[in-house]
Amino acid sequence: MTHHTASSPVISLTNLRKRFGVGEAEQYALDGVDLTVEKGEFIAIMGPSGCGKTTLLNIIGLLDQPTEGEYLLDGKSVEDLSNSKRARIRAKQIGFIFQNFNLIERLNVLENVALPLAYSSMPHLKRLVAASDMLKNFHLGEREYYMPWQLSGGQTQRVAIARALVNDPSIILADEPTGNLDSRSSHVIMEELSEVHKKGNTIIMVTHNPNLTTYASRVITMLDGKIDTDTKDLTIEKPKVAEKKPLGKASKKAAPKAKKKRAKKVKKS
Amino acid sequence: MRPLLLEHYRTAKQSLVRARMRTALTMTGVAIGVASITTILALSNGITNIINDQVKELGSTVAVIRPVSKQSSLQDLANPTPQNSYTTSPLTERDVESIYELKDVQAVAPLMTLSGSVRKAGASPERSSILATTPDFADISKLKMSDGQFIDSVTLEDTAVIGTQLAVDLFGTEEAIGKTFLIRGQSFTVIGVMKRQNDPINYNNIDLDSAAIISLESGKLFNSGVAQIQQINVKAKPGVAMADFKQKITNLLRANHDHERDVAVYTGTSIAKPTSRLFSVISTVMSLIAGISLLVGGIGIMNIMLVSISERTREIGLRKAVGASNRTIILQFMIEALIISVIGGFAGFIGGYVIAFGISMFLTYDPAFSWAIVGWASALSVGVGVLFGLYPAIRASSKDPIESLRRYH
Ligand SMILES: Nc1ncnc2c1ncn2[C@@H]1O[C@H](COP(=O)(O)OP(=O)(O)O)[C@@H](O)[C@H]1O
Ligand SMILES: [Mg+2]
Repeated sequence: MTHHTASSPVISLTNLRKRFGVGEAEQYALDGVDLTVEKGEFIAIMGPSGCGKTTLLNIIGLLDQPTEGEYLLDGKSVEDLSNSKRARIRAKQIGFIFQNFNLIERLNVLENVALPLAYSSMPHLKRLVAASDMLKNFHLGEREYYMPWQLSGGQTQRVAIARALVNDPSIILADEPTGNLDSRSSHVIMEELSEVHKKGNTIIMVTHNPNLTTYASRVITMLDGKIDTDTKDLTIEKPKVAEKKPLGKASKKAAPKAKKKRAKKVKKS
Repeated sequence: MRPLLLEHYRTAKQSLVRARMRTALTMTGVAIGVASITTILALSNGITNIINDQVKELGSTVAVIRPVSKQSSLQDLANPTPQNSYTTSPLTERDVESIYELKDVQAVAPLMTLSGSVRKAGASPERSSILATTPDFADISKLKMSDGQFIDSVTLEDTAVIGTQLAVDLFGTEEAIGKTFLIRGQSFTVIGVMKRQNDPINYNNIDLDSAAIISLESGKLFNSGVAQIQQINVKAKPGVAMADFKQKITNLLRANHDHERDVAVYTGTSIAKPTSRLFSVISTVMSLIAGISLLVGGIGIMNIMLVSISERTREIGLRKAVGASNRTIILQFMIEALIISVIGGFAGFIGGYVIAFGISMFLTYDPAFSWAIVGWASALSVGVGVLFGLYPAIRASSKDPIESLRRYH
């Protein structure tokens, strides 16, 4: 399944497994995932609840470690990295976006956005300036001194995206970023992520909404801790398609299949 | 690294200010502990300073010999009555005589304090003490007479020298020469009145202003002819090396006492070690209280930090997700604990001095300032912060970021 291109992939996972619990409660959240992500891809991951999507993102984001398998980040294994090295990679290279936004209630919008910069040793004032610039990109310039509870859901998630981008990460991991938003706000967020993608960032996004996969360049569906379908596999047979173009058709082919499987699973449970 | 430290400070300040009330209460716990310690040290340093000044004034030629007091036991604490004066002192007249024979010695004065009251028909002063000693005492202590003379080898046994205050208390006047009073029922005639000293606390452990001094011979008569010597003051000849002198006396006493280490020779500032047994009992008890309040203050810090950390579980998870390492998280919460303990400690230090000055209004001396006290207060504050902040901080750092972020889903 490994798929080689000229430049080495940003992320390369081989037979990744993650076990939770022991004995009776033992369970594999990831059960042999192989995945290669090239720089600049916008991947949408779909799949039923509990199939291991969040676990996969956490491992890619170095918040969690796999039980088995190999993870190469920029061609280097992350297995033996110390806690502080992993933290430094999170600080400089990775931006997280969560479904529930996860802003710190006690800090205002500006300070929330500036937070990741604290861990790359940037002086306070510089941090605030950088955060302020980032907020302007998201048209939240005049909300800088609002507190998180004074924002709407869509605004809050835009603040969270600004925070994820403020340290200029090469990889953005978004776990159901629109899960708590209405459809209009969802599309606004997706437009923002599209913009970010166009600037050359790698984005991996988990979503439950098939409509949003049109923004992605590649759609993956997961089932029971494994990758079920991957639109990239379809492109192998064809001549190479420009990766940055949204693969609307391909995803639409994949999506119904995923839906069917999900329906099956629902019936089972 | 520095921007991060500043960030920790900022974060800590924010979270402490947000929970003002509990922050203040926690700080109070530490403050009480540090205040007690500061009070004790300020007062005991005050005493030490006074005695040091006196020793300095005496010059560097005086050595003092005292029995080695046994370590104060728990039983002594329970019984605050000093028992030293009732037990037999290992110092004897033979010691005094043999010290006299050393060639470097200029003067020797044994001190024998007697229990019992000083009275006169119609007047019995509350505060008075009786000291039996030899004529050399005046020389060693540089005593000045305001009237009359000090006891000497030819004065009669029933004569006494008294302090100014005792003269006033007994006779209503400082002009007391020739007047008589009773010591333990025995009649004594005043032959001299000492100049006012204003040193109620001194290395002789006697307030000379309200003391009656009689000859050692008279003192022995009150004690079945035995000299009960609590202390021996020795003055060396000018130019004698004191370390050597001290060693010679020590060797001599060891030989006299069958090599028992029951007495000790002090020179220089070590003479000034607080000698009051009552004081040492009080300061032991106060140190105990201080220790307990510091412990309670520390537990308060630990408690509040654990609460704060559990309230901020999600924040910790998020900070890790955006790049905080375990070490960074530990540092963040350690700084928070340290801010509590250091501000509490500072307030306690100030408060301790306020209390010490308050107490000193009822005492005859002032509390003293010293950098050592500042050092102790700082060390204790920082120590409590580190000791009791470490566990919560480690707990915070070991929180699983995934669990922490998941909890509020
Ligand atoms: N920390 C954990 N402890 C135990 N089980 C977990 C933990 N995290 C995830 N799981 C289990 O692993 C499986 C995959 O979870 P997750 O990755 O969150 O799925 P998804 O995000 O696709 O809904 C689920 O069955 C979940 O219960
Ligand atoms: Mg999930």
